[in-house]
Amino acid sequence: MQKKRILVIDDEASVTRSIKLNLENVGDYEVRTENQALQALKAAREFKPDLILLDVMMPEMDGGAVAARLREVPAFKDIPIIFLTAIVSKEETKGHEAVIGGMIFLAKPMDLSELIQSVEKHLKR
Amino acid sequence: MDRPNTSSRRWLECWPRPWVVAGSLALVAGIGVVDYLTGLELSVTMLYLIPVAVAAWYEGIGLGLVLAGASAAAWLAADWLERGLVDRPWVLAWNTLTLAGIYSVVAVILAALKRNQDGLEATVVRRTTKLREEVGQRRQAEEALRQANEELQRAQLRLIEAAKMEAIGRLAAGVAHEVKNPLMTLSMGTDYFLHRGPAGADEAVLLRDMKEAVHRASNIVNQLLDFSKPRPLQLLPEDINGIIENALGLVRHLLSNNRIQVVRELQPQLPAAPLDRTRVEHALVNLFTNAAHAMPAGGTLTVRSVLEAGGDAAAGAAPRLAVEVEDTGTGIPPEYLSKVFEPFFTTKPTGQGTGLGLAIVHSIVRIHGGAVSLDNRPGGGARATLKFNLEPQQYPSNHAKKAHSGH
Repeated sequence: MQKKRILVIDDEASVTRSIKLNLENVGDYEVRTENQALQALKAAREFKPDLILLDVMMPEMDGGAVAARLREVPAFKDIPIIFLTAIVSKEETKGHEAVIGGMIFLAKPMDLSELIQSVEKHLKR
Repeated sequence: MDRPNTSSRRWLECWPRPWVVAGSLALVAGIGVVDYLTGLELSVTMLYLIPVAVAAWYEGIGLGLVLAGASAAAWLAADWLERGLVDRPWVLAWNTLTLAGIYSVVAVILAALKRNQDGLEATVVRRTTKLREEVGQRRQAEEALRQANEELQRAQLRLIEAAKMEAIGRLAAGVAHEVKNPLMTLSMGTDYFLHRGPAGADEAVLLRDMKEAVHRASNIVNQLLDFSKPRPLQLLPEDINGIIENALGLVRHLLSNNRIQVVRELQPQLPAAPLDRTRVEHALVNLFTNAAHAMPAGGTLTVRSVLEAGGDAAAGAAPRLAVEVEDTGTGIPPEYLSKVFEPFFTTKPTGQGTGLGLAIVHSIVRIHGGAVSLDNRPGGGARATLKFNLEPQQYPSNHAKKAHSGH
């Protein structure tokens, strides 16, 4: 069976690198990283991911706008996008994951187990 | 002088009292008898002036003139009876008229003087009264001004506080972003090594310590975020005693680890109060945690709930729910009492407290429209008192404002 593809978009290379290494280490995933929000759509078209991890606060374009552009493309209309955000606290997410207005949020910094749990859950969907 | 209406007496406006009229006429007649018996011309003539003057002064011009006439008549009668009319009738008539004129002039002058004096007194009384009224009005105006000024100062303080909270909100968002991304890298990095299986036991311990450190740092940033992002209150009719029990349950390990005895003095069957359960629980947990930290060698935590009767309705004092949390710890140095609710104020050693615990308590109680205070108990230890209104309409309505719109 083909490896699940995960695209990680965050302006901080150290964040995307650590997520990539962890996911590839513990799971059967193929991970691509992108540090420039403006390149996100291009990267998605090339990589054809099964799931996207998307930072919310990025300098060129925020995560919400990136998600909106991705959703305009028919191929990515229903792709699971998990937002990674620093500006919510654990209390707000009531656990490690929150669904606010139909969007999935993970509060930074999360444990690897929490990240894997969310990724697995939304890949199965 | 102390007769009523003295100040408003006018010429002939009031009739003299009859006994005064009768008395003074009798006096004049008496002088006439003396006049007749003694025949002392000049001195007795002057004696008639006494009733005339007194009547004019105290009873007004009317009786004064009557007595002037009566005196002249008495003098005439006495002289007539003494010497007879025949030898010099014209001189007698002339003298009588002259005396009547003199007595009348004295009566007029004295009545006028008296009237002037009364008028003056009335004026003084009137002006004094007016002055008193003005002073009273000025005092009232000054009091109103003072109250307005105090209200203004309070509003200013609230404004400053709001501005401070907004600044902290912005700061928190910035700090959260700048700190949590590095924490994310650290967290993922340590997880990576933990999953790879570290080389030895020491490395495993160090890695777990690093994970723990990341969690602690992250919690501090989260507290800062929670503090600076007020969300709408969810007010439901709640039983404060139930909330207290829940909060005690959340900290039971901490309390038992510190060998702290819990004393509950909860008034049964308190009315339900509109409270945001989660927030009030949070506030109580913070207070219990502080109490536990103040009693590292053990002690007693007393939690009290009581319905406070309101004062008189005119003062707007409705009944309130009061919750008191007392410890038997070291208390708070008096110089810190005014600062304990300020964000980032802490007496705990660096790294052991965020300085947000009591600030959060303050903010939670305040958005409920309640009041919070902290003082030292006479027997040692500290006491926090929270007061909640029972009337939901007393709650502020603008607390739903979000500090941040984006993520």
